[in-house]
Amino acid sequence: MTIPQLVFLAGFAIVLVTVVAFGLLVVVSASRNVGDSVVLTEVVRRLGRAPADRLEAGRWAFYAHRIGGVAIFAFLVLHLGDVALYAVSPALYDDVHALYGSPPLRVFESALLLAILFHAFNGLRLLAVDLVDVRPVTAYRLLQATAVVTVALWLAGSVVILAPIAR
Amino acid sequence: MTAQAVERAGRSVARRGVVAWLLVRLTGLLLTVLVLGHFALTHILTDVADTGSAYVAGRWASAVVVGWDWLMLAAAVLHGAFGLRAVIGDYGRPSVRRALVPLLVVLSIAMVALGTWTIARVALS
Repeated sequence: MTIPQLVFLAGFAIVLVTVVAFGLLVVVSASRNVGDSVVLTEVVRRLGRAPADRLEAGRWAFYAHRIGGVAIFAFLVLHLGDVALYAVSPALYDDVHALYGSPPLRVFESALLLAILFHAFNGLRLLAVDLVDVRPVTAYRLLQATAVVTVALWLAGSVVILAPIAR
Repeated sequence: MTAQAVERAGRSVARRGVVAWLLVRLTGLLLTVLVLGHFALTHILTDVADTGSAYVAGRWASAVVVGWDWLMLAAAVLHGAFGLRAVIGDYGRPSVRRALVPLLVVLSIAMVALGTWTIARVALS
């Protein structure tokens, strides 16, 4: 492990801590402000209802959009740093970049893909519901479509990203 | 301040809010193409282990890629900065919020500056 790699990993640890801490902040604030339960049995009971009764799903999409957005931004700060190493010295860039192919970073890249896909497709959904007034049930269907497209592309992409670990 | 001045000030604040959110939406739409394209190219179509300095050198030899990357940088930082400004407004004590906004401005400018320096140094060398 070289010094630049250690510095990158320290930055990476800060990114992870930031994302987890911000995620906790959003969830704790949410349960305090609007009474959204974070207990699993309550979540299961809520998921068992008809679409028209599940309008708070949009609020959960809002929380996920925020946490994902902060996660992507935090990674962007780190990523601009490692790409800037290329302008300093290509060898230095390669030294740090070798970490990106390691199994833990590949798992992180898969999680990053999930964050980017959800943020992108949920953002397009928000544009759509801003521009066109839709009924509550239609809004819920759009959210379901967002989830389906996100998960489908995420699984397909993750197979490609994670496959070299098995090899 | 006269009543008209108060109204004018209020309207200008409201307009700033409109411009900020329009920018978030416009850059967001742009980023769905730029970022998903970037991720697909560097993680799906090419394995990440093969995107070392040789790959970067080949990529940035193209003016289209240099333009793509700089536009992506500017759009991402604008989008993230306005998004984070809204997030900061929702959490924490007012004193903390007031301290965080200037920090965010400095961080955003530093990010665009670092990215622009990187691209310019490589593209012009």
